[in-house]
Amino acid sequence: MKAKKSVFLVICFILFAATVIGCAGTKTNTNDNAANQNAGNNNTAAPGNNGDANTGEEVNIKFAGWGDPSEKKVFNQLIADFETKYPTIKVEYLHMPADYVGKMNTMLAGGTAPDVLYVPDGDFGRWVSAGLLLSIDSYVEASDIDTADMWDSALTRYSFDGVKTGAGELYALPKDIGPIVLYYNKVLFDAANVPYPSAENPMTFDELLETAQKLTIDENGDGKPEQYGMGPAWWEGWIWGNGGDIISEDRTEFLMHEKAAVDAMQFAADLRNKYKVTPDSRALQAMNDGQMFETGKLAMMEQGRWMVPTYRNLDFDWDVAPKPTNGKWDGHSGSVGLGIYSKTKNADAAYKLVEYLGGPEGQRLQSEMGFAIPSFKSMANTDVFLQPGQKPEHAEVFIKAAEAQKAGPWTYLPNAKWWDTLNQNLAQLWDGRKTAEQLFIELKPEIDKAIKEGNPKLFE
Amino acid sequence: MTEVSETRLAQPNRKAKRRFKKEYLWGYSFVAAPILGFLLFAFIPIGYSVFVSFTKYDAFNPPEVIGAENYARLLFEDPLFWKSLVNTFYAAVGIPIGMAVALAIAIALNQKIVGIKYFRTVFFLPTICSVVALTLLWKWIFNADYGLLNYLLSLINVEGPAWLNDYRWAMPSMIIQGVWAGLGFHMILYLAALQGVSSTLYEAAEIDGAGSWKKFRYITIPGISPTTLFILITAIIGALQDFVRFMIMTEGGPEYSTMTVVYYLFLNAFRYMDMGYASAMAWMLGILIMIITLINFWLSRRWVHYE
Repeated sequence: MKAKKSVFLVICFILFAATVIGCAGTKTNTNDNAANQNAGNNNTAAPGNNGDANTGEEVNIKFAGWGDPSEKKVFNQLIADFETKYPTIKVEYLHMPADYVGKMNTMLAGGTAPDVLYVPDGDFGRWVSAGLLLSIDSYVEASDIDTADMWDSALTRYSFDGVKTGAGELYALPKDIGPIVLYYNKVLFDAANVPYPSAENPMTFDELLETAQKLTIDENGDGKPEQYGMGPAWWEGWIWGNGGDIISEDRTEFLMHEKAAVDAMQFAADLRNKYKVTPDSRALQAMNDGQMFETGKLAMMEQGRWMVPTYRNLDFDWDVAPKPTNGKWDGHSGSVGLGIYSKTKNADAAYKLVEYLGGPEGQRLQSEMGFAIPSFKSMANTDVFLQPGQKPEHAEVFIKAAEAQKAGPWTYLPNAKWWDTLNQNLAQLWDGRKTAEQLFIELKPEIDKAIKEGNPKLFE
Repeated sequence: MTEVSETRLAQPNRKAKRRFKKEYLWGYSFVAAPILGFLLFAFIPIGYSVFVSFTKYDAFNPPEVIGAENYARLLFEDPLFWKSLVNTFYAAVGIPIGMAVALAIAIALNQKIVGIKYFRTVFFLPTICSVVALTLLWKWIFNADYGLLNYLLSLINVEGPAWLNDYRWAMPSMIIQGVWAGLGFHMILYLAALQGVSSTLYEAAEIDGAGSWKKFRYITIPGISPTTLFILITAIIGALQDFVRFMIMTEGGPEYSTMTVVYYLFLNAFRYMDMGYASAMAWMLGILIMIITLINFWLSRRWVHYE
């Protein structure tokens, strides 16, 4: 009987332990959540509260990010430099090459997230509205970071006012920004005897069409061009350039059914369906537009700065020009931020790392590799970024594009369902089944509903 | 728990009790691990998801109880849920097709020919491959311009569609892939069932002058009917829960034409962080699967024969 009892005792103990652990977990969570909400609402812990880097005590922090091997190399070096500069802070670098957001969601929900983490601008709103990021306003104020010298839209997309992004307290520093510009193949332009696009003035829609038509060549006359003039649109900038908008200023209403936006989108669709100067989805399935450009099958395409190191290896001459947006400098950019987990125990040390990576030192090293545009205007205008003697010849186009950029619309709201709904339905426009006007009038109620359902605080 | 085991232990007579006790002890301690595992990692989470389905919960902040709101929204305000449900049933069209093909292959592989084991292995091989790898392979097969399928079609002068990129063809493509992916497993089950059908029945039928069609119709089909029921039920459940291939191959598009219930559930849970709504959806799906399975069992009394 004794042995039997002890087995049951063990079982009971395990069950009991499990319950206790479960409860403990819940309790900590609740407490942390309370702390969190404080962090979200009031301005967080002032610098110097905990994990002070100057006390001489060693602090260990974790830093998570993704990126290809070359980015990993750059960050390994940055971290080594950082540790030399701050000998009391040790950084553990967690490199997650795949499914970063999925893994980070799990870590955030489980309360085990790293102290410093990459924050994709599309996930920023969701994470900050859930109280997962630490406001860094007071830290930035106390540090040497000159926010006035940073690109406006790169910085403000990481602010949150409790309901929407783009205003309010700052929760991350940009790791990079990538405004979209036009890349063109000089050899194809020369062969067709077409003048290069201006580096000063963006093309109007008419100019774009005319240029693209001259560069679309169907050698064997089978109706399938061997060479296309223009790649598919990154259409956000085309709408803005034409005077339209995607959603309203206060983010409550979908606006692509209005004339300026409809015209821009119809033009984008017409390039493909009516004028056939842009590869359709069938042609693009074989290669993406980047591969078509690299193999000389595409004369112009829109891309960010990140393609420069790759394209420097191409065996033909190329350059960049402003994104064609009906005559006005405009367009969007993608970005990744450097944020601090709100439950970190070493906020000070964590900020030191954010400051280092997002500040002048970190930005310089990233820019020298040719991938990114530095977050600081003053640095962008130096040889660190312009890199004379290397392609592209007109690197200053990136700087003007950075000045004119807006945050991509996927960053606007914490809940992305409205954006998914829009993207799922755009195929009807691209393959010509519906006109832009038909489609967006039809979609408006559905998208308005998705905005409202996903972001109830906007409507309170 | 204690009570149950006391009664069990009380059964054997006193003399045998000592030995039994020791054996039971070990038995219980071995059983404890999976039971605890089940409680901790299945039963408790399942129970918790019932609770969550009545709350608004983003996984980061404490859940907030909102009653049956999630269910109301699901049933009356979300056309996309119904569309994903219709899509899921559309995808299930592949089940009977897949079963018929699997049976045909199983019959072919049931012959006594040299090298038959090689063919059995070849047909079974895809079953043990990673779903992700197979799915990526099929993405290439379906590619409109350089994919294998359209290349084969071009040999007979047919221009294939843009399979996965066309809203009309995306689901049929997924069905084709699904049928192929299920073949190996279903084929091996059928093969085992075919070998279990008593040869004396065939001999008797032959003596009575039955041809091969009659033997197939009146002996083989009833003989393997329990296997057919098993495959049918597992395949339906599998189809209702189909997810990975859709995530990798189509992401529910184009135009939601391949949005299945579980993929939609995944989007709500992990992209929109709406765990409460996703849990409600999971329970609706669970109930639906249960109803369909019960109907299946009920109907099966008419056509399944157990020896």
